Amino acid sequence: MAERRELSFRLNGHPRTVPCADERLLLDLLREDLEMTGTKRGCDLGTCGCCAVLIDGRPSLSCLTLARRIEGREITTIEGLTPPSGLSPLQKAFVAAGATQCGFCTPGFIVAASALLAATPHPTREQVVAALGGNLCRCTGYTKIIEAVQAAGSP
Amino acid sequence: MAVPEPPRRLLGGRIPYIDGPLKVTGRAEYTDDLRRPGQLVGRILRSPYAHARILSIDTAAAERMPGVHAVLVGSDYPIPFGVLPITHDETALAVGKTRYIGDMVAAVAADSEGTAEEALRAIRVEVERLPEHLDPDAGTRPVAEPIHARGLNGTNVQKEVLQHFGDVDRAFREAAVSVAVHGNYAGVTHAFTEPLVTLAEATPDGRLTVWSATQVPHYLHRSLSEVLGVPMHRIRVIKPEVGGGFGGKSDPLPHEIVCAALALRTGRAVKILCDREDVFLTNHGRHPTRNEVRIAAAADGTLLAYDIDAVIDGGAWSSFGVVTTYYNGVLSMGPYRVPNFRYRGRRVYTNKPPSGAMRAHGGTNLRYSIEVALDELAERLRIDPFDLRSHNALPPNSTTVNGFRITSTSFRACLAAARERSGWDAKFRKLPFGRGVGLGCGFYISGSNSPIHFTPKMPQCTVHLKADMDGGIAVHSMQADIGQGSNTLLAAIVAEVLGVDLERVHVVRVDSDISPVDIGSYSSRVTFMMGNAARRAAEALRALLLRAARDLTGYPVEQLRMGHECVEVAHRPEIRVGFLEVLHKAMERTGALQTSGAYTSPPMGGTHKGARAGTAPAYSFAAYVAEVEVDAETGQYRAEKIWAAFDCGRALNRLAVEGQIEGSIHMGLGQFVGEAMTYRGPRLLNPSLLEYKIPMPGQMPEVEVLLVGDDDPEGPFGAKEAGEGPLIATLPALGNALYDAIGVRFLDLPVTPEKVLRGLDRRRAEGRSWKGG
Amino acid sequence: MHLDPFTLHRPTSLQEAIDRAGALAGRCDFLAGGTDLLPNYKMHLNLRPHLIDLGGVPELSGFGEGRIGAMVRLADLEADPRFARDYPGVVEAIRSVATPLVRAGASVGGNLLVETRCFFFNQSRLWRESLGYCLKAEGDRCHVVPQKERCYATFSGDLAPALLVLGATAEIAGPGGIRRVPLAELYDAQGDGIHRTRLQPGEILVAVHLPPAARGARASYRKLRIRPSFDFPEVGIAAALFGTPDRIERLALAAGGLESYPRLFPELTEAVAGGALEPAVLDRLAAGVQRSVRPVHNTSLEAAYRKRMAGVFARRALAALADPPAPAPGAAP
Repeated sequence: MAERRELSFRLNGHPRTVPCADERLLLDLLREDLEMTGTKRGCDLGTCGCCAVLIDGRPSLSCLTLARRIEGREITTIEGLTPPSGLSPLQKAFVAAGATQCGFCTPGFIVAASALLAATPHPTREQVVAALGGNLCRCTGYTKIIEAVQAAGSP
Repeated sequence: MAVPEPPRRLLGGRIPYIDGPLKVTGRAEYTDDLRRPGQLVGRILRSPYAHARILSIDTAAAERMPGVHAVLVGSDYPIPFGVLPITHDETALAVGKTRYIGDMVAAVAADSEGTAEEALRAIRVEVERLPEHLDPDAGTRPVAEPIHARGLNGTNVQKEVLQHFGDVDRAFREAAVSVAVHGNYAGVTHAFTEPLVTLAEATPDGRLTVWSATQVPHYLHRSLSEVLGVPMHRIRVIKPEVGGGFGGKSDPLPHEIVCAALALRTGRAVKILCDREDVFLTNHGRHPTRNEVRIAAAADGTLLAYDIDAVIDGGAWSSFGVVTTYYNGVLSMGPYRVPNFRYRGRRVYTNKPPSGAMRAHGGTNLRYSIEVALDELAERLRIDPFDLRSHNALPPNSTTVNGFRITSTSFRACLAAARERSGWDAKFRKLPFGRGVGLGCGFYISGSNSPIHFTPKMPQCTVHLKADMDGGIAVHSMQADIGQGSNTLLAAIVAEVLGVDLERVHVVRVDSDISPVDIGSYSSRVTFMMGNAARRAAEALRALLLRAARDLTGYPVEQLRMGHECVEVAHRPEIRVGFLEVLHKAMERTGALQTSGAYTSPPMGGTHKGARAGTAPAYSFAAYVAEVEVDAETGQYRAEKIWAAFDCGRALNRLAVEGQIEGSIHMGLGQFVGEAMTYRGPRLLNPSLLEYKIPMPGQMPEVEVLLVGDDDPEGPFGAKEAGEGPLIATLPALGNALYDAIGVRFLDLPVTPEKVLRGLDRRRAEGRSWKGG
Repeated sequence: MHLDPFTLHRPTSLQEAIDRAGALAGRCDFLAGGTDLLPNYKMHLNLRPHLIDLGGVPELSGFGEGRIGAMVRLADLEADPRFARDYPGVVEAIRSVATPLVRAGASVGGNLLVETRCFFFNQSRLWRESLGYCLKAEGDRCHVVPQKERCYATFSGDLAPALLVLGATAEIAGPGGIRRVPLAELYDAQGDGIHRTRLQPGEILVAVHLPPAARGARASYRKLRIRPSFDFPEVGIAAALFGTPDRIERLALAAGGLESYPRLFPELTEAVAGGALEPAVLDRLAAGVQRSVRPVHNTSLEAAYRKRMAGVFARRALAALADPPAPAPGAAP
């Protein structure tokens, strides 16, 4: 393994400094080094969206992000999108709509949808579909996921 | 005096999944989220040869590497296994031969991924290449070097089924009309989002604990014991959350056994996490299939006979293949009455990734050919496709010619609902060229009546309940929630029977040390079998509570019933005792209350060879209408809407049933429009989620779910399955809609835009117009 | 899937990046967004021991006044209402790239220089070993068109055609200083799936420039793919009209997703200058594109189909020019 140097960034609002090798990916840093397992490893090649996190507020693929490139940035994971007690309105909408089945893709969908709602509080169906275009779900046919995001975004 | 049951509080409504809050927060624990102290990384060397004799494997260099703790090869654990006890032809690692590109040859456990991969690259395998068998048709004849010694008579045929009921030849002679279709179906795979992953730990007390992403913890438990030679009681199998299965985790898989073997060898914990290509190569997806379906009918549309032939590409191993071979014929026996039936099915080994069970196993490709043939038949006879199907519908409480017992069926109600809601009569053959509607129907087992293992004799599902002084009710069962919501249903059934709030009921994670056996999530059996077992367990607990309430209230048990969080006097509900008080009374002498419920399916089916295949305590029925729009210039098309009328008996959790139907339609759509395991020679060309084309949100049609089932007499609270049957009707509805849109039949799946365009070209070249187009 | 170890260099100026590349000649790759490079690294495709991260090079960032820095993220461009108004065809192309999650990381320069793709190349080590490695990685033969000379991997960027038709130029920096060339000359028409650009060793694509005439020009992009997201183009056709549909001053057509490099069709479009964008012209141009392109079967869809669709999509891209320029679909309200 290459030399591990210090990496400093903010994780869910808190400053973190960890040793990190050059070739380390953000997904591995989160799941293996920091034991933040809410972010899922689905395909590891950028084609399922299970590993999405927010980097400076933008939904991004942690499996294709070198950890070193998050130096000084703000990372928000599914853990950071969850209130200390209870659920966010978006999470509540997912539960109420039955938008989870196996749940493995769910954190990625929540991450992508939360960014959409932050930018566009009341999205149209087309906007939801476009924003979730990088998240793959094999269980639901997306129907209830789209419903949930729209419900969370309804005025 | 019978006490009338109060109206149901939960069942029949929309019950949010009890694990939803864990899943939306990323707190649900999947196998790869677990970590044990000192855990090692397991990695598997896969064969780059489709068919080769292994001459030698040199692992010395790998074993010498610092950080490598164990290296295994096939001869270390040569005992064969497989999901069906009659066809054990897999080994944990290849013994003697490799049978497809991706076959597992050796394994290592090491300190890190990097070291493990380096060690794999240091293993030297010397082989002699053998002829590759890729074409299942060719494999039906004797070949020089069959893939398995067990192939029939020197061929690669793994299983042949011949069945004949009635007199098919005579029926065809006497028929007014007959149609024949030849279907060709590419293999498709489950592509669950959670990759295959297993964690195993050997501990100094002589025990082995295995956490695995599996649908069949019990079968895994048995296979581990058989191959590793460790008694079952020293192995503990735990099923964490599973990120989707669809049949792809319903075999005990070799990497699971290899992982456990590495743990035994190292005395430590080892995790094997498959990458996406590994998952595609492990496969066990829907069989590539070629079938011929001939149908004979009378002039009024009465079906007289089916004559079916199927050649099924099994890939390297048997897996569920014996079942597959039967299902590809016998699942034609509903939803219509067919008095004469003949079937020849052959499943052939090839040097490709093994095929296995995938959602609506054995019923999907067969059904497509039948439903397209019926569409053709209706056109020939100038009968509306709905009328043709309604005319031939199996009635409730009937028996099929091959001995299936049909109890409840609301198939006619499905037809009526789909016809009305879709506006069929105003659309069929009346929409402009390029737009069309099609009808496809479905029929599926609600739980295989046969367990896979017959020894020891035991129920197919057992549920245990424990209620202690804390007032919580713990539910134990090895039923495997893989995302379909069975934990939620299990809790809801218990809560319903006991009148308590859902949050009192805790479904305990599947753990073979604690959970009584259920044989797993496959064959659409869980709602039916687990539901009945859970109901019985809860009723037993209720009986204990009512007895205690009798002691508290002085009213006889016959006059008491469960109210909401209490026991009440049926005719004077103002007299009640709170749940906790009753519970505490009931456990005064025994301590925690413990009850058990079990389900064993009743005897059924004929006595001919293979008579059990396809028998089920109930069947689901479906009638779907799809509406499609075709771009005649590009051959691209879009499913605009699907009206999905489904008979799952009583829908106990409408949210979950809708979810199963919507998800099934998505998966059926995928197989129809573009998903395919594409090969060049023995090589899978698209082992990735980029190149294996699972539909995206923008491709999903609007879905209107129409639940029209009457209560099933034996299902729990009247319920039947809704997990697999809903997929089947999707494909023929789309195929027949394409025909209505452009006048071209498609029998080669997936129906890619190239094929649509070729079909349009052919029609144009032949000068045949269609609806003016 | 972990990455094999490499050393990551993070230069903070263009000169430093050039110097570093010079010192590591042949042993380094540039890292832009990483959304294409890192999957290829995970598949062990042409690994280098050094990566030079261009994310900290200020000269490569920012856009405005017709200049787009090579490290500008696709998501930033598509989210900018002014850019969408000025260059609707480019934004149409951007929105068709992969997925929103990919576009959050992917850069303009990375998309222009995206690695060519082929079913026989974009595979794991096991897969490639099983068939025998190919020309493009570790081997000496092509499995698509069996011979040992030329690689037929397909250029699969969406942005290049959309920028080509607008007359974009490429700003390139290297040991010899900075040069500007027409974007078309960034690509090597004499090359193949391996030697696909005319960048010299150590040269960096700094930015692309759009001429003033490109702003507000009628432009469109039509992409053939199997799914509405994720998929690389099986055909990607861009068109731009300078002038009006009644009187064409200049018309441009470009194609990607079909051959080893994206290209314009001047031999077809120059002939229609001065005329009107009428159906017969559309048909002629579409037929010309279809005749001219030479796809091979190394992607999901059949080569003959892609060739035919090149014509259909060319006609559709051109037909879209007859409509008044509109903000790209999906633009923020």
